[in-house]
This record gives sequence, C-alpha cells and structure tokens, in this order.
Amino acid sequence: MEDLETRCASLRTEIAAAEAQLTKLKRELHEAEGAALRAQSQKTASANATTGQRTKSKWPLHGEEYRRYGRQMIVPQFGLQGQLKLRDAKVLIVGAGGLGCPAALYLAGAGVGTIGLVDGDTVEASNLHRQVLHRSRNVGKLKVDSAIEYLRELNPHPTYIAHQAHLTPREAPDIFKDYDLILDCTDNPATRYLISDTAVLLGKPLVSASALRTEGQLMVLNNPPQPPGDKTGGPCYRCVFPKPPPANSVTSCADGGILGPVVGTMGVLQASEAIKVLTSAGESVEATPPSLLIFSAYSSPQFRTIKLRSRRPNCAVCSAEATVTLESVRSGSMDYVFFCGTVDPADILSPEERISPSEYGNVDSAGAQRHIIDVREKVQFDICSLENSINIPMSTILASAYSAPTLDADEPKRLPSWLPPEVAHESNKPIYVVCRQGNDSQTVVRKLKELGLDHGGERPVVDIKGGFRSWREQVDPDWPDY
Amino acid sequence: MSTFQIHYFASASTYTGRNTESLPAPLPLSSLFDTLEAKYPGIKEKVLSSCSISLGDEYVDLVSDGEKSGNEGLLIQGGDEVAIIPPVSSG
Repeated sequence: MEDLETRCASLRTEIAAAEAQLTKLKRELHEAEGAALRAQSQKTASANATTGQRTKSKWPLHGEEYRRYGRQMIVPQFGLQGQLKLRDAKVLIVGAGGLGCPAALYLAGAGVGTIGLVDGDTVEASNLHRQVLHRSRNVGKLKVDSAIEYLRELNPHPTYIAHQAHLTPREAPDIFKDYDLILDCTDNPATRYLISDTAVLLGKPLVSASALRTEGQLMVLNNPPQPPGDKTGGPCYRCVFPKPPPANSVTSCADGGILGPVVGTMGVLQASEAIKVLTSAGESVEATPPSLLIFSAYSSPQFRTIKLRSRRPNCAVCSAEATVTLESVRSGSMDYVFFCGTVDPADILSPEERISPSEYGNVDSAGAQRHIIDVREKVQFDICSLENSINIPMSTILASAYSAPTLDADEPKRLPSWLPPEVAHESNKPIYVVCRQGNDSQTVVRKLKELGLDHGGERPVVDIKGGFRSWREQVDPDWPDY
Repeated sequence: MSTFQIHYFASASTYTGRNTESLPAPLPLSSLFDTLEAKYPGIKEKVLSSCSISLGDEYVDLVSDGEKSGNEGLLIQGGDEVAIIPPVSSG
C-alpha cells in the first residue's frame, strides 16, 4: 500500500514536471513562430520596397489568416475591414468563468489581436460543465492560465495577456487603460459596478452579461463611450440599476445553480456584440439604441428586448452631476463593498443551540426520538437526504415570513402552514435543523423559537453546525458533494 | 374585466413563485409597487427596490426617492405587458 502511494506520488511529480516542460516548450514555440512571422513579413516588405512592385505579399493579412478567417470575412457586415479592425483591437475579458470562457473562445477564434483575461480563481470540477475552456486535467490550475492554454491551441495569432488576480478598485484603471473594449463576465454586484464605473471614466465601451439558473441578461453599455456629462453617450450599469440588490438576496451560481448552455448563450452573445462594437468603431453608423436583452430558456418567448433610456440625468458616474472619479475609485473612497452591502456572518446562535455533525451522528445511531428538518430546496433534498428527515425549503419559510403579524398581542401565535402538525405537537421530541452549509439552519432555529416551539427552553431546538458540508467531513465521506 | 400581464424574472419570480400573471387594469404605474407589496408582502424592499421595470418594450423609471422620473402620469392599460427585471449579477 505504502509502495503504491509512493509510486503515485512520484508519478504525479513526474507528470507535473513534464507538463511544466511542455508548457515551457509551447511558449518557446509560440514566441519562435511569432518571430518567424515578423521576420517573414519584414523580408517581404523590404523585398517589395526594393522592387517597388505590388506583389501578393502586400496583402494585409498572411495566407494562413485568409484561410482561417475567410468564412467571416465574406460576411458583408464584416468584410476585410472588419478583420483588420479586430486584429488591431484589444479586448479585456473580466472573469474566465461561464461567460468569459465562451466569449474568449469566439473572440480568439475570430482573430481579435490582443485578449486580456482577468481572474484570480482556480479551476474546480464544478466549473467544467459550463466553463468550456477548462479541461478536467486543469482542475487546480489558475483559470486564466487554463483558458489561455486552450485559446493558444485554437488560435496562435492573438496576443494573450493573463491578469492573474481578481479585479480590485486600485488596479482596475491601470489594467483597463490599455484596452479598447471591456467584457463584464464576473459574478458579483460590487465588481459589476466597479467595472462599469472604470469603463465610463476611461471612455471604454462595455459589454455586460450575467446568468443564473435558466435566465440571462445582456447589455452593451457606455456605447458610444462619451465623457461623463455628455448626454449622447450610452447609459452605464448604474443608469439601468442605480441601486444594488440587497446583499442577502444575491444568489450565486454555486447556491442557485446554472445551466451550461444558458450562461454559454450569454457569453457567445457578448462575443457577438463585441465584434459589432469593434468593427463599427470609427464609422458614422447610426448608433444602435441601447437595450437590455433577457434570455429565459424555459419561457416563451425565450428572448425579450427592453429599450433602455439614455444616460440617467443624475447618474453618479456618467452624468454632469457625477461624483465618482478615477481617483475615488483608485483610493477606495468609492467603497464598492460598502455600496453593495455584505451579508452578516450567520453565527447568530449560541453554542448551546448548536450541535456538531458527529454529535448528531451519535444521536442518530442511538435511535433517539427526534424531528430532523432539512431546509434545503426540494431539488437538493431530492439529490440526497437523511432517513426520516422532513423537507421544509428555506424559500417556503421566507415567503411566509412577511405575512402580517397578528394584531392582538394576547392572541396565541398561529403556526405557519409549512410546519407539519407532528413537529408542532410532539413536543417531547427535540428538533434538529440542517441545511447545506449551516447558515439557513440557524435562521430557521431562530424562527422556530420565535414561534414558541422550544416551549420556553424546555424542548431542544438546535442546528447542525456546518450543515451537510461538515456532515461529509465528519460523518459520511460518501455524502454527495454536489 | 380588463387585465395586464406582468412577467417576473430572476429573484422576482423566486419571490412570487411564478413567472407571469394577470392583474386588473388600468393601474397607475406609480401604484404598481404598492399593488405588488399588498399581494407579496416584503417584495418592495427585498426585490423591487433594485429592479428595472419595463412597460411594453420600454424601460420605465419608478425611482421612489422623490426625484422626477418622467413617468409620473403613466397608466398601465388592459393588454399591456409589464416586466419586473431584477439585476442578475452571477455568471
């Protein structure tokens, strides 16, 4: 057994070394190919200069590029001019996840000259169903490196720039200034406002998209990118959503779920909009009015377009009354985390009101009388659940949390309809509450106590600390890690 | 009775538990949030306060902090379509 483990460890080391060597060789090859291309074009250029003749080598693109990009170059809206504009363009993609991967894939394929990618995350197995540039073997690797590895194999012509950290207000202006167009492919409100503000202040158009579960949104913002105060400029993210959503209502893909093709669709649409913006730049085309596209995969119609207004007259960034400046972004006096709010840490219960998964495991195997309430959503309960547990989804509990309180304070509290009668009436049985991570369970323990189910402290109502995540670590390693 | 159709997206659909429904028309646009609040207590603060709203295929402004939105007098008519569009930030 020990021998095998040593063997595995040494193989892993060998593979890592070989991969590092391969990466190094590929980079060297890429640089050598680039140098060869430049040398070749210089040679032909000087040859042409000497002979003074117009030869085929004076075509603006290399032979390989005509073959590679021909199918898009014969599209009338695109053409040779479109190709040349893409080649000269520098696009920054913030986020190398579900949106950034497909967007980068198509922009690299189309031949955008410089593509920058910003992300500080590493690839996880749960990313692979939708983040199409990352491959199973790259789990654990930085997303930007994993993505660029794929893009380089797809198209070696563009220059790829890796920004291996999450975007911060301090660095955003310096990163953005070198690019012509920004794609917002991120996953949280604070970064969305930061990206929009920085894009406006530096005069960069912004293609913004988002997705959750079965829905997505897409907007082309700050287009045309006129200076703040100029009413002819396109609206920014703040013009459309001046107030951030309450922090505790923000759902991530990890919590809410996401279908791969839904977020993929949004990322591909971003690439399409990016190509439109880049190839029309400089022409006096009639500006396309700004709009918000909503994709809802399970609705009919699946696509809706809402016409947006022009810049908001009192917008904090792009109006004449603007208060946000590059300096306030950089210095942190525009505090994005504060602006968007934070969710209070969920440690709302005292130690006596909590029980560890291993302690509950003992209660469980002793076969003690009890109620175990699982407050995950039904779809998660259906994936895996504890024997005899009762499913009361958090959303059901919250939805009724706002019903009008009884006017008469003396009237006994009416129990909510989601509470099964046996839980309410079998008051000799303790109540255990469990959820996925151990946050919602605490909220529900509070709620059950407010409803008087603990009989003034006589009946234990406790939460299982750390939820099923800790359950897997402490009790059941086979518990599905979805 | 005349009605208009209201569509709920993202967190609005989670909160109301539905994607769409019919509500009685005509309704002044300025009363929309209160009408929804009466039907779905808490929705104003938890969802609507940060939402975009569209009437037909146009964005309309319902910012309630006293400033002029330009939509004060708008009336939602029978047959109209209204959409509640919360900002989705994940991706």
